[in-house]
Amino acid sequence: MSSIRFQSVHKILGDRQVLQDLSLEVGPGERVAILGPSGCGKTTLLRLAAGLIAPDQGRIEINGIPVAEDGRNLIEPEDRQVGMVFQDLALWPHLTVSGNLAFGLKVKGTPKQERLSRIHEMLQLVHMESRAHARPAQLSGGEQQRVALARALVLQPKILVMDEPLSSLDEDLRAELRSEILKWHREIGFTLLYVTHDRGEASTMGQRILTMKNGSIQ
Amino acid sequence: MKREINIALFCVFLALAWTGCAKRDRPPVREVVVYASVDQVFSEPILRDFEKETGIKVRAVFDTEEAKSTGVMNRLIAEKGNPQADVFWANEPIRAEVLKQKGIADIYRSPQAEAIPEIYRDPEGYWTGFSARARVLVVNKQIQDPPTTIHAYTDPKWKGQGLIANPLFGTTTVHIAALFSKWGDEKAMAFMASMKTNAVGVSTSNGESADFVASGRYAFSLVDSDDAVSRMRQGKSIEMVYPDQGPDEPGCLIVPNAVVLIKGARHPDNARKLIDYLLSPETERKLAFADCAQIPLHSGVEIPKEMKALEAIKVMRIDYARVAETLQAIQPYLKEWVGL
Amino acid sequence: MTKRIVLSLAVGFLFLAGLLPLLLLLIQSVSEEGRLTFDAYRDLLFTKNQWILLGRSLVLAGLCALVSTVTGTTLGLILGKTDLPWRRTFTVLYALPLFVPPYIMAVSWFHILGREGLVRGLLGPTVAAVTSDWLLGLPGCVWILSSIFSPLVMLLTLAFIRGIPPRLEEAGRIVASWTGVLRHVTIPMILPAVMLSALLVFILTLGEFGVPHFLRYHVFPVEFFTQFAAFYDFRAATVMAMPLIGLTLMALAFERLCLRKKTYIIQSIGHGQRRLVIPLNRSRRVGILILVGTLSFMWTVLPLLTLLFESLSSSAYPRAWTLAGHSLMRSLVYSAIAATVLTMLGLLTGYLVHDRSFRFWMFLDSIILFLFALPGSVLGIGLILLWNRPVTQAVYASPMILLLGLVAKYAALTHRISVSTLEQIPASMEEAACMAGARWLRRFRQILIPLARPGLIVAWLTAFIFCMRDTELAMLVYPPGCDTLPVRTFTLMANGSSDLIAALCMIMVLGTLIPLGLLSLAMKGCWGGHVEYPISIRP
Repeated sequence: MSSIRFQSVHKILGDRQVLQDLSLEVGPGERVAILGPSGCGKTTLLRLAAGLIAPDQGRIEINGIPVAEDGRNLIEPEDRQVGMVFQDLALWPHLTVSGNLAFGLKVKGTPKQERLSRIHEMLQLVHMESRAHARPAQLSGGEQQRVALARALVLQPKILVMDEPLSSLDEDLRAELRSEILKWHREIGFTLLYVTHDRGEASTMGQRILTMKNGSIQ
Repeated sequence: MKREINIALFCVFLALAWTGCAKRDRPPVREVVVYASVDQVFSEPILRDFEKETGIKVRAVFDTEEAKSTGVMNRLIAEKGNPQADVFWANEPIRAEVLKQKGIADIYRSPQAEAIPEIYRDPEGYWTGFSARARVLVVNKQIQDPPTTIHAYTDPKWKGQGLIANPLFGTTTVHIAALFSKWGDEKAMAFMASMKTNAVGVSTSNGESADFVASGRYAFSLVDSDDAVSRMRQGKSIEMVYPDQGPDEPGCLIVPNAVVLIKGARHPDNARKLIDYLLSPETERKLAFADCAQIPLHSGVEIPKEMKALEAIKVMRIDYARVAETLQAIQPYLKEWVGL
Repeated sequence: MTKRIVLSLAVGFLFLAGLLPLLLLLIQSVSEEGRLTFDAYRDLLFTKNQWILLGRSLVLAGLCALVSTVTGTTLGLILGKTDLPWRRTFTVLYALPLFVPPYIMAVSWFHILGREGLVRGLLGPTVAAVTSDWLLGLPGCVWILSSIFSPLVMLLTLAFIRGIPPRLEEAGRIVASWTGVLRHVTIPMILPAVMLSALLVFILTLGEFGVPHFLRYHVFPVEFFTQFAAFYDFRAATVMAMPLIGLTLMALAFERLCLRKKTYIIQSIGHGQRRLVIPLNRSRRVGILILVGTLSFMWTVLPLLTLLFESLSSSAYPRAWTLAGHSLMRSLVYSAIAATVLTMLGLLTGYLVHDRSFRFWMFLDSIILFLFALPGSVLGIGLILLWNRPVTQAVYASPMILLLGLVAKYAALTHRISVSTLEQIPASMEEAACMAGARWLRRFRQILIPLARPGLIVAWLTAFIFCMRDTELAMLVYPPGCDTLPVRTFTLMANGSSDLIAALCMIMVLGTLIPLGLLSLAMKGCWGGHVEYPISIRP
């Protein structure tokens, strides 16, 4: 059974056909990099998987369960248990680092003790335990990146989608974080959909590289 | 967390403040709702005295003729199906007549009204007049040989020197309507037309008329006696002339306040008490000494020295019900006259 | 699902408070004893005089919009872009007239320029006669209304200047002088906003009753009031309201078609980025300082000082306090409650429009603006028609009716502020919460509201000011014994002594400004602060 499956998905945004008859299958625990020029529909693909938008036509399945079909979501994004790292990271500026991590756990109703220990573990994993009480605006770019990853991972999603998460960093930091992400992937074992426009990054991050052009996979 | 507490406290404060007001709104037995179209500065002290003396809480809606605000009258008419007011205190009887004709007034013959001359009462008891204003000529003191009749308006000698408040409003409308009902349409229209050829000025209110005369822009104007007296008390250079007092002349128009019991009043007993209070000689005395300087309709009530007692004035004899009808009939004519 | 329910409730509330009364009014105007009739329209609209009045209203509104826009934009540019000293003080000074009921400024100017006014003492009766004639007419109306509405344009200009990314101006500075940058970058960037505020001033002036009425300048809204006062004719008054409604709709349609698309989104600039400031050389600085200082003296200091001076008699304040103390308290409480409801409602409708949650979002947006532009008295009459029934006595005979009216009338303020606040919050903020599994209500409460907090505080304060100064609506619907301060001052103005009225006006001014000052300080202290987005890349 595949982890994510797109079956001839079409999507129009505004007056532009962004995705055209796109089909895709990603196995459990697989790392897939999606490569393509800007505007080719990479981000739309991720947002469809996450459920932030619904396909106009076609069908999306997660772990064998249909989650969206022909213009509407069958399962809302908050119930899909997909983790996402946004291009702009989307750290909540009014919450501290641990507050950012705690939010999702609180939503799930995780007991306080467990919550705290999981946050602690996760911050250790991303080497951020010393900044637990800092606000996002007080962090450097690399630190923010780590927090965004930790926030997604702390919920232990089966699937993690990442939208050019390293695009605003300098080369050294990118290399470092790439290897860290790979390390975490080995440790946790989630399915990874990784969007990038950088060929080198794609080959590091993906066991498989899909190249997109004009709304479909080449 | 602190923030949530702050918000909660704030909400509690608002809720308390709200119920604080609402509690006063929940009808306790002892209250009365009055709508007053008499200037608030004059009517409110009387209502406060009533509260003090009887312990009945007065809740009032005020309106002013001067401000021509949308008005308690509209509210009364709008609320016909679900009346809120118990008593309407009007500054002239025509409005009271309109309420009677629209079926908003109720009958109440106050024992206090018996001493008030009959012409100032509705024969069927829908409204009762008290404390009146006279329609007087206010004249600049510099003027030699001041006019003594309203015919000065059409006298070429006074061309361009007469001023009148907009006849679409207030007591001026009542006055014109009284002339129409007294003289008949033809004569009244001729009078109005020759006023126009005599270049009469039109002001927005009687108060403004009095001010213009005091400043010397116009020689004279028809105003209410309270407008004249208040300016005289401020030491302005004007004097007050009761017009048409000669033996063959019709006399001076008297415009009393009128009080009405509203049909379907929620507090009818308290309403009657308030009406009795308003119609008492004591209230008339207070209104005479207040800046509105109103003429008592009870005889023998003490008055300030610059005023004449009702008995000393030759009064124009009119039927207020007929004036009310005339008033509505001549509205289109008046609009045209004003140039609207 | 919760989202739809909550948003529907908000829309429903607005419908009940604003739209339903108007619909009822419209139905009433075309029916007589159950028949459909357009007589009232024919009678009133086809008389020459109505068109003259309408023309006057348009001239007044046009002139005010022109003067306010030119002055307001210039002031905004000077106070927002240059290094003129005391910019903050000037901004506050200019904004003051906006915070009090307009007729109070008219009262004050009457004390200055009237026949018996200050001018008479200084320059003699002949000059006073001239200035009085000048005041009681079109020039006076334009002068006073401009002094009230210019600050509105100024504040909007300031807000939009703040939204121009400095790099755009820096790019301009490399090739051009500051004059060139202003002309080719800054002003074109804020032009849509300037047009928008001109339109706003136009609409507000069109419906303004207090000032022209006080100055005896006969315009359409004055005639509209007159129709009620003199003829007790609901139908006629409704019909009279139609041209105003029509003009308002036209203005809004114009905004929708021509301006909306061009309005650049205001983006917040983080603390790291400094706004670019134009350095003034010595002579310019002095010159501009004198100009700005003189105008602020004329428009704010002089009228307020005059009121203060008039009110300084031994008995005026104690008397005014006895007469109006309770009304002031009521005003404060009602305005605080209304502002709170308005802030919540505005956030919900703002979210609806921002998110386009319902297909009718654009319609809703227009309706809210329309209610704001509509003269308060029209709404008031509608509210009476709707709620004055035995069944709804609890609403009609309590301050609830006033609350409904205020909410319907001023929803546009909090709504619009919320929309632009929400526009500054990256969509990914809510999406991230969604990915964390949070349902809508939680996302709204725990993510959006805290992020929108600075905007919400501004919305609350704005709503509070406008509710405090509302006269026309309150005058019509206040329950017996529950009048507000502006209403009480207005009714006491008839034959009240001038020191008493001046004292009441001062109480009104201080009663608005003191709580406002305290609140903004307190809110800044414990709730305030900017929300800084760590990285603001937007796809």
